[in-house]
Amino acid sequence: MTLTVNPRRPVAGAPREYHFPPFQKHSLSNGLTVWLVPLEDRSLVNVHLLVDAGAAAETEPHGGVASLTAQLLVTGTRRLDANEFAEATERLGIEVSSESSWDSARAAFQAVPEHLVDGLDLLAEMILEPRFDAGEFERLRAERLADIMQARADAGGLADERFLASLYDESTPYRRVAAGRPETVEALTLDTVRAFHAAAYRPAGSHLIVAGRFDPDPLLAAVERVLGAWHGEAGGHRTVVPQPAERRRRVVIVDRPGSVQSELRVGHGGIDRYDSRFFPGLVMAAMLGGVFGSRLNLRLREELGYTYGARAGFDPRRSAGPFIASAAVQTEVTAPALTELLAQVDGIRAAVVPEAELRDVKDFLIGIFPLRFETTAGVAAALEPLAVYGLADDWWSSYRDQLEAVDVVAAHDAANDLIVPEELLILVVGDASRIRAEIEALALGPVEVTTAD
Amino acid sequence: MPHVPIERHQLANGLRVILSPDDRAPVVAVNLWYDVGSKHEKPGKTGFAHLFEHMMFQGSEHVAKGEHFALVQGAGGTLNATTWLDRTNYFETMPSHELELALWLESDRMASLLPAMTQEKLDNQRDVVKNERRLRVDNQPYGSWDEKIQALVYPEGHPYHHPTIGSMEDLSAASLDDVRDFFATWYAPNNATLTIAGGFDPAAALTMVERHFGPIPANAQLPGRPSTAIEPRIGREVRETVTDRVPLPRAYVTYRVPAFGGEAFDALEVGTDLLAGGRASRLYRSLIRERQLAQDVVAFAFPLIGDATMLALWATARPGVEIDELEAALFDEIDRLRADGPSDDELQRARTLHRASIESSLERVSERADRLSMYGSLFDEPERVNDEVARYERAGADDVRRGLHEWLTPDNRVVLTYLPAAPAETEPAADSQEVIA
Repeated sequence: MTLTVNPRRPVAGAPREYHFPPFQKHSLSNGLTVWLVPLEDRSLVNVHLLVDAGAAAETEPHGGVASLTAQLLVTGTRRLDANEFAEATERLGIEVSSESSWDSARAAFQAVPEHLVDGLDLLAEMILEPRFDAGEFERLRAERLADIMQARADAGGLADERFLASLYDESTPYRRVAAGRPETVEALTLDTVRAFHAAAYRPAGSHLIVAGRFDPDPLLAAVERVLGAWHGEAGGHRTVVPQPAERRRRVVIVDRPGSVQSELRVGHGGIDRYDSRFFPGLVMAAMLGGVFGSRLNLRLREELGYTYGARAGFDPRRSAGPFIASAAVQTEVTAPALTELLAQVDGIRAAVVPEAELRDVKDFLIGIFPLRFETTAGVAAALEPLAVYGLADDWWSSYRDQLEAVDVVAAHDAANDLIVPEELLILVVGDASRIRAEIEALALGPVEVTTAD
Repeated sequence: MPHVPIERHQLANGLRVILSPDDRAPVVAVNLWYDVGSKHEKPGKTGFAHLFEHMMFQGSEHVAKGEHFALVQGAGGTLNATTWLDRTNYFETMPSHELELALWLESDRMASLLPAMTQEKLDNQRDVVKNERRLRVDNQPYGSWDEKIQALVYPEGHPYHHPTIGSMEDLSAASLDDVRDFFATWYAPNNATLTIAGGFDPAAALTMVERHFGPIPANAQLPGRPSTAIEPRIGREVRETVTDRVPLPRAYVTYRVPAFGGEAFDALEVGTDLLAGGRASRLYRSLIRERQLAQDVVAFAFPLIGDATMLALWATARPGVEIDELEAALFDEIDRLRADGPSDDELQRARTLHRASIESSLERVSERADRLSMYGSLFDEPERVNDEVARYERAGADDVRRGLHEWLTPDNRVVLTYLPAAPAETEPAADSQEVIA
């Protein structure tokens, strides 16, 4: 069957203008910053409270306390026990989340407009008057320890954890996941949690973001009412200075007998949120492994069929998080897959990228801009990096221009500045008995074989 | 609740078209459901519907390999496709002014996929899909659970007996002839439902649809859906224990229940939310919080339209907890709800949460389009999208109690248990299967 009625790609219509919605910023007298994004045409509203209570605000001996504290907040208040608190939120049709990353802790919910203020009351109650029940603490700590076991049983989870541990030296907190290692989580006590909460959950330096359908003036008054009595200077956080464990290319094989795939993680240190090469780095990483048509995915998946997907990217934090290229490949092709992956990493540095390829990636990153803010949750989340990292208020209004300004030279410079092939850590989780010899034969650098336990 | 606008059309070749315009954002979703899934596969061809879905991204007569993704992403759009037991869906979300590009791409592969097919492309995507299977099933703790429960809930030869991802052996056997047959049989306009939702002009869109899809001929010999006739109940308790490389024991309990779309299903769906939806649900409260037997608890009903679908629960044991104790506690809670039904407050909370989750889902133009296609394709009733909340709330406390009482019985369930292997016996996975009358 051949139909040739419309052999040519249709011509696009005229793009409609789109702008990131305008927002207001208010400072309460206690130091809390309130960001309001009223969106009249939506039917929902999102509330995100960001506190400088991430893993950067804890100490290494208490690694994981920030995460556990955030989780404990939804298990009740002085007035309501864990079950009563859960029921109270559900009666409003909301589910309050509370979690932490390296740079902040976030408590959040989404509601219909009529339940916004009641939800805000509960959010404030859980931050200001947490129950910190001993039984709930023991339960969540035990769950966290079991979660770590579960993550390690998964080849990908194991690879993620081991990559960080091998990448950084002993002095670098980023060598573990933000939620902590079993050794420190096990040692946490409820007193440690209470002390962390008292020191880190402070209004100064915290941010409340509200995006969606609401009336700004009454909402601001409500925020003042429920959070105005919160007091305290900002608790502060450590400055992480990431140090690589080694500055030479090396291979670590984590033996996982019986694996039918090998999980590859290849990378080294990356960039922080303030790096002047942020946009060139973003565009370059997208070309290498950030979109379906990226070099890594096209080569390893669409040409060779070695994997279901290959990707690469940066993880910018307050300090530089890692740059990682990754793929899960079938065991039989582990060594050739590594060779191909490294060839793509070399390739994006070797020659200036073609103009057309750069254009495609920029068109994608610029074109999806309106889609990212389709939901009230998307709009609220977009303001988080502005709040946490203090990025300029015009971050999103200038975002597309910043991307557009990345030319082939900037992208090529980013590849050469930000990727150092001689310093790559090459980590493989797989069946060592089947992959070790052929990986050693690649002569990529010293090979260390460790067990999964 | 926001009302989803619906305009229905049908082209002369049978293509069902659903238009749902709104002006919230300059984005538009194109969503195409084909009424073909893994249940349509023939013996020895498991996994083919999904492998075929991959081939739909390998180019068509006027679109080169890789170009489909490149054109959509270059236009600032996102795209993907999924295959499941009942159906296959393809979808793009585009800036509004690029609507016609998405329509053209979908029409080109519906009209003329075959000229672009080569053995090399098939071999490549076969390898990709095998790696998808390794990633999700074979190298994944507990990864085989869904194919195991399908095989135990549905008898050999039933269209839902085998998994959508298929077996390695059948994937190896797939040929270009299979691609040709499958395309000629199922990828016809009279077997598809096309939805456009979001910021667009309906009249202009309909003209575009007619221009691109109108010339594609119907398949006059379109087969009907395969029979999914089955005994409504399993009739006995079926048990299987898998010893595998998992860190913690986990029990999967699955019941054979009435299909998606009817009131019996709706009542059971409410039941799953009462059991495990949220931190105040019965199983969370009892198994996780109070008795601390479980690490996690999940319950949901598969939205399958064949004569019977599955209601599945699983719970992972906390370290040191015996799986038997966890299982007994799970059944105790289920039985309590089966006997007494929910309290008014409990039911009201479930309804409020459900309403909020629907509202949140429908915020996305892609989700509105997908649900319209789903109801249009499966039931020829896209209007159901505006009835989801009411349908859920029509299930009263007594309907829920009676539904759970009737269907969640010991003689209508499959209990699949994963146990951690001792270090020496990690490979191969040892299976034992027993049937308890």
